[in-house]
Amino acid sequence: MKHTLAMAIRSLRARPSRTLLTVAGIVLGVAVILAISITNLSTLDSLAGVFSAASGKANLVVLSATDNEEGFAERVRGVVLGTPGVQDAVPSLQMTVFLAGQDLAGQRETSMLGGATIRLVVYGIDPSIDDRAREYAAVEGSLLPSDLNAYEIVLVKEYADEHEIEVGEDIDLLTEAGLETVRVTGLISKEGVGQTNNGAFGVMPLGAAQEIFGRTGDLDQIDVIAAPGHADGDGLDALQSALEDRLGTAYTVAYPASQGKRVVQMLDVYQMGLSFFSVIAIIVGAFLIYNTFTMTVVERTREIGMLRTVGMTSRQVMGQIMTESVILGVVGAGLGVGAGVLMARGLIRLMEYLLNQPVREVQVPFGGLLTSIGIGLAVTLFASGIPAMQAGRISPLEALRVRGNQREQWWVRRGWPWGIGLLLIAVAGFYVRVSSSIQYYVSNGAVTLMSVGAMFIIPVTVHAWVLVLSPLLRGLYKGEGQLGTRNIERGKQRTTMTVIALMVSIGMVYSIQALAESFRVDVQAWIDGYIGGDLYVYSGRALRYDLGQRLEAVSGVEAVTPMRRVDVKVLKADGTQDTLAYYAYDPESYRRVTSFVFSDPKADSEMLMDRLAQGDVVFISTVVSDKYDLVPGDTIRLETRRGQRDFEVGAIVSEFNDRGFALEGSWKDLRRYFGVNDVSAFQIKISPGASQAQVEAEIDRLYGERQHLTIESNEAMKAEAMSVVSQAFSMFDVLAIIAVIVAALGVINTLTMSVLERTREIGMLRGVGMTRWQVVKMILAEAGTVGVMGGVFGVVYGLFMSRLFIGGANITQGYQLSPVIPTQGLIAGLVIAIVVSQVAALMPASRAARLEVIEALQFE
Amino acid sequence: MTDILDARGLRKTYQMGEHRVRALDGVDFCVRKGEFVAIMGPSGSGKSTLLHLLGGLDKPSEGEVTLAGQRLSILDDKQATLVRRRNIGFIFQFFNLLPTLSTEENVALPLIIDGQNPRKHEERITYLLELVGLKDRRRHKPDQLSGGEQQRVAIARALITSPAMVLADEPTGNLDSKTGTLVMDLLRRSCDELGQTIVIVTHDSRAAAYADRVVFLRDGRISTEMLCEGVADMAQRVRAVLETMERLAN
Repeated sequence: MKHTLAMAIRSLRARPSRTLLTVAGIVLGVAVILAISITNLSTLDSLAGVFSAASGKANLVVLSATDNEEGFAERVRGVVLGTPGVQDAVPSLQMTVFLAGQDLAGQRETSMLGGATIRLVVYGIDPSIDDRAREYAAVEGSLLPSDLNAYEIVLVKEYADEHEIEVGEDIDLLTEAGLETVRVTGLISKEGVGQTNNGAFGVMPLGAAQEIFGRTGDLDQIDVIAAPGHADGDGLDALQSALEDRLGTAYTVAYPASQGKRVVQMLDVYQMGLSFFSVIAIIVGAFLIYNTFTMTVVERTREIGMLRTVGMTSRQVMGQIMTESVILGVVGAGLGVGAGVLMARGLIRLMEYLLNQPVREVQVPFGGLLTSIGIGLAVTLFASGIPAMQAGRISPLEALRVRGNQREQWWVRRGWPWGIGLLLIAVAGFYVRVSSSIQYYVSNGAVTLMSVGAMFIIPVTVHAWVLVLSPLLRGLYKGEGQLGTRNIERGKQRTTMTVIALMVSIGMVYSIQALAESFRVDVQAWIDGYIGGDLYVYSGRALRYDLGQRLEAVSGVEAVTPMRRVDVKVLKADGTQDTLAYYAYDPESYRRVTSFVFSDPKADSEMLMDRLAQGDVVFISTVVSDKYDLVPGDTIRLETRRGQRDFEVGAIVSEFNDRGFALEGSWKDLRRYFGVNDVSAFQIKISPGASQAQVEAEIDRLYGERQHLTIESNEAMKAEAMSVVSQAFSMFDVLAIIAVIVAALGVINTLTMSVLERTREIGMLRGVGMTRWQVVKMILAEAGTVGVMGGVFGVVYGLFMSRLFIGGANITQGYQLSPVIPTQGLIAGLVIAIVVSQVAALMPASRAARLEVIEALQFE
Repeated sequence: MTDILDARGLRKTYQMGEHRVRALDGVDFCVRKGEFVAIMGPSGSGKSTLLHLLGGLDKPSEGEVTLAGQRLSILDDKQATLVRRRNIGFIFQFFNLLPTLSTEENVALPLIIDGQNPRKHEERITYLLELVGLKDRRRHKPDQLSGGEQQRVAIARALITSPAMVLADEPTGNLDSKTGTLVMDLLRRSCDELGQTIVIVTHDSRAAAYADRVVFLRDGRISTEMLCEGVADMAQRVRAVLETMERLAN
């Protein structure tokens, strides 16, 4: 064993470039898996943590079941306190306001979570007992006094610094009633509850908050501190049930972190995409490792033959190769862990940007660490296992033979029928309908089968490629180009492995482009409808419904339609509840400004809008339709002020707000069932020929200051929303780049081996008069041929992969994305493949050119 | 006859680990145009080193090689390469044909490398294929040819540019005796019929017998030389005997 290890180490050290390239491939593969695992876990942990920190030490939270923003009466606290098992009940009122005097448009940011305006979230609390539920870390000034009616506020330091607010300063809050002045008495750190709303958070005495916001006697939340024995496990479950029984169905008693559940759901498809593409990157790495070990075995055929001659058994030979594989796997996986942690840092920063939310990096998750190391090792061992077996079959006679051409594996010569069969099975994966829980695995399986199928088919196409590309490369690289192109026929197995690696990585590049374009097309269509009209008008406080009529009277305005968003509870058949967003519109004015994007292209939109206007009808998103298995004609039960009520599903529409977890309803129903009559925003359509700038200026003059309005151009908002979509795909681009790098390593490996095998031949060519530069061109031509093959196959592979992924996303997430074929992606894929092949060939080409003629001629 | 090749005071020293090895230790060597010279000597005598210096594949530590009036030592790598391409034909022990090229393409390889269109040299290629007896195998790949046939292709390749000199390193080293005789006969004919200047390095005395002059090296120096008269006639006689034997066998 000791000797085996020593020989293995020596063998690896004797081929430093090859060893480094192989380790690099393993490092990248392990790093990708670990980085994605860390990033996903960190994101989920941070998001859940935000909600959890907002309630800090509380064991349970009591909320209104209707989520109609009216909260509930203060007396409910007494009921809660009176429940056995409750030690404390900490009340709070939760409002969102704007900081007056600030640019409201500047306070609006869009993120992947669909967040729109960042307002200041203000909790009205009882300072004397609130610290039993939440922790505050004061950094300046003092925390709140015990006077419940003091008009004072404590802000998060980062927020205060950003808005140049100091302790002792008075600030104006824009509320329903108008401007209210409060004094800043202290600043807290952005930890614990200070993380709420990304630090745009403040606390003030409950009484003052109730007065300022016109919510006297109201609460929004009670944080329950359980008594010992009731704080966890069965005790806590029992306490939850007891509270629910006491309070009735008008209230929800929940665990604090579960409030983040809906937010976390929104990231599902994103994380699924990251995991899917990380598997692809692993496939590329596997081909690289297989190719490397195959070449190593070929290179050492005579050496292995000699070892067999002096008595080494087949099993010992296999063991030798596998020992090298284990060493590379362990080293690669170890380094990959370090690289993965570094990569995760970068991905986390990107995720923070996308979510507009700080993401705290978790400790390297032990499970994720084991998984990534395990996968790295398993892939290395698996990919090197076949070459190891081949090494074991080398006969002692090989030691005595003059080096000839490597005999190709059986699959190179006869594997193409298998290839066709595997491709057909993979294509069948498109049409097989499986449950969403296994769709992910079906997609991954289909992609893997396609890669293996292509591996069997590519060898029989090599000659045709040479015939087609030889004239082209001769034109580019002259006679040497022709020599280089033909060289790929000499090692079809080697050529195939390299083409596969390029194919998969280019496929990733292309499919990510296609995916992004599909999203953009569908999101664009939805945004055009959602942010309809020309202007978008909103305020820091809820607007009155009749403002719409006054806006419509402004010269140059053709039509105005209101919009309001509330959270509603959906009651499921099993008795559990989910929270969805309810967007209310006035159908009559809505159709004059913009339109819904119906999933059924033949839908009679006028008829459907009339239905919506009649009431008791909702339009649901494709996501809701899929999740709750609803179609037009079904009913969906919502919790309203008047109790539970069934609404008919009128139509299915595109909806990307709240990641699709949304319903569209009428204003009539909003008033009738949810008791809301104010407006979140107005969408305005400008008359043909009227100047948008003038209309904007006129509205601002008439109502801007009085109503504290912000007027924005819809074009600007659309552009911002689209840029979020673009940024979201940048993370996938990172994975694609990694896959391309791994493929490039494969090209370097292959060409290096090709040069090594042809050392004597290169010496001959130099001897008969080929210059060093001509040798370089010959190698570049060979690489270019492989690059073109990899690019073309890659684009085709990418077409399949993107269709698979879009189909998978549609099934698992309920989207109805339309597949798109981006022409730019086709060209980009080809260009990248060719460029990568040329750049990767430079090192082996220059090595070939530097060969000394005499040494090369004498090389054995 | 004029000297096509003139080498004076050649010395070559190599560093091998901690030792300095003097492969050539003062060699003066010249070859007349149209002459066939064989260089012989025991292992380590410096014969391959001498061949490499004569062909511009290496530079001497001391001394000078002049080929067709061109001093090789003052050439940079690219210039030396061009000299090899146009003025020297190389024949190697292991044939070294390109497996992806056909017979005629391998013959035309120096032209391809020189950027010339082989089709414009169709006549010359056909002539050489006829000379080496492979005209009917012109489209075959090397793996379809025997060892002797491959070496004959290599000879045709070496002659395609009508070089000033052909250098052959152990041309029969990888062939059986009968095939080796055929190859040497070809080289002799190219010398007699085409006026080609040929220098071979060999340890095979039968191969050396085809040369007009045999130079013996020992310990990096020329030990002795032997002039052979009537070699052309001898070769003709051997050829006639072989052809007769061939006819009788068929």
